[in-house]
Amino acid sequence: MKHIRTIKEPVLRQKPSEIGCGECQASCQSACKTSCTVANQKCEKK
Amino acid sequence: MIHCFTCNGAHLLLDVDSGAVHVVDALVKDLVPHYAKGNPEAATEALASSYPPDEVAAAWDELETLEKSGALNTDYGYGEAYLKRPGVVKSLCLNVSHDCNLRCAYCFASTGDFGGERMLMPQATASAAIDFLIARSGGRKQLEVDFFGGEPLMNWDVVKNTVAYGRAREKEAGKRIRFTITTNAVALDDEKIDFIKREMANVIISIDGRKEVHDAVRKTSSGKGSYDLIIDGAKALAKALTGHEHYVRGTYTALNTDFSRDVLALADLGFTQLSVEPVVTRDERFALTIGDLPRIRSEYERLAREYVRRRKAGEWLSFFHFMLDLDDAPCVAKRLIGCGAGNEYVAVTPNGDIYPCHQFVGEEAFIMGNVHEGRFDEAVQRRFAGLNILKKPACRDCWAKYFCCGGCAANAWNMNKDLYAPDRMSCEVFKAHLECALWVYASERSLPLPGEDGGKMQTNVEDYPGG
Repeated sequence: MKHIRTIKEPVLRQKPSEIGCGECQASCQSACKTSCTVANQKCEKK
Repeated sequence: MIHCFTCNGAHLLLDVDSGAVHVVDALVKDLVPHYAKGNPEAATEALASSYPPDEVAAAWDELETLEKSGALNTDYGYGEAYLKRPGVVKSLCLNVSHDCNLRCAYCFASTGDFGGERMLMPQATASAAIDFLIARSGGRKQLEVDFFGGEPLMNWDVVKNTVAYGRAREKEAGKRIRFTITTNAVALDDEKIDFIKREMANVIISIDGRKEVHDAVRKTSSGKGSYDLIIDGAKALAKALTGHEHYVRGTYTALNTDFSRDVLALADLGFTQLSVEPVVTRDERFALTIGDLPRIRSEYERLAREYVRRRKAGEWLSFFHFMLDLDDAPCVAKRLIGCGAGNEYVAVTPNGDIYPCHQFVGEEAFIMGNVHEGRFDEAVQRRFAGLNILKKPACRDCWAKYFCCGGCAANAWNMNKDLYAPDRMSCEVFKAHLECALWVYASERSLPLPGEDGGKMQTNVEDYPGG
């Protein structure tokens, strides 16, 4: 493409049955304590 | 839903549901609002004074190609079916000290006592909290306990004994407790540093940046700035934690809206894992306002440029809010509910009271129970479990919703007295550093945009001299 360059491909659509194990870290326990972000957290399954 | 924005001169396009990220040229940026209306002839006419019709048509075709390939305007239908409400508690903020050896002017914990009596948590309460966590954790294996305060090092024996107690209990229960600690570094010594390095999975060290900035707000009980008191201990701890997860975390206020200089001052001291957060306060001396947003945005952009420049030059540096994991990030179930306060995550005070999180401590209407008395109000837990981005009007149509996940419940309550109404200031600050994080992501992949500036990399940090 001339005008657009994709730098992150789409992630696959997730199915309800495949997600939500809940083992990942509570986001507020990371570094913020006064905000909320999960963008930099790891999935414990990966 | 899509979001097209400009950061540090580069144009980026985020497809919200799929998480796809595209770098686009100025034509596409200008075309996106017209593309949403679906009329290519009208778009060509509207942009005729800036772009040749054949170029507009070509860009339109590229957007259509992206959409057909599932990388634009996706709608994955993430709704109620994706919500998980198991009603377990898997994460504790353990306020082992409602006392502090500093008197920081902006402290949301009222300089350590959370508006109540200054006290330390007895060991029996800390152990009961561990028992409560394990008993309430259902089938979860990974549990978390953060030693918090006030200043947790003021109750050091309880910290050590609670880790020992937790290690024994986790084996019996088939769990794994991830201990973390947040400290102001005042009372650090070699013994504490060794223990922290050995036992804590993550450590937060509170420093606000430049000495004059730190000293203006983080003072001792006698009113003196604490920078000289803490800096050597903080350096020693960070050095010991090289290669080990930790963050040097600062708070910025209305007094230092040039906070990028504080982050970089910390980097210049050799700290490599950094974070800053906007102050949470109504105190007019420190509170950030909507009017500060252009400056705040500009500071994050400046920080992003310098961040990328230093990393490209080989200087290791990480900034919490610029670290985007777009590949292995948590699933959509996590993204719908966010931090889990009051549901999976609770705070326990020195007398054993349970609150939805550390920022609710002192709000008696939110007491959920007590670890000594075996009380836990599951109705309150269900109320907090129901907080998700599907239920928050301001979140449903927000492009950042799968990154911030509905924001901080305590901020919503503190600013709006409505758990479903996120604090607008927090939202806008989040969006500002998220756009910068996406720019950093693009820049570090050094992707050229053909046809623009003779093939020059549009996202190249060197294009922005002077920082």
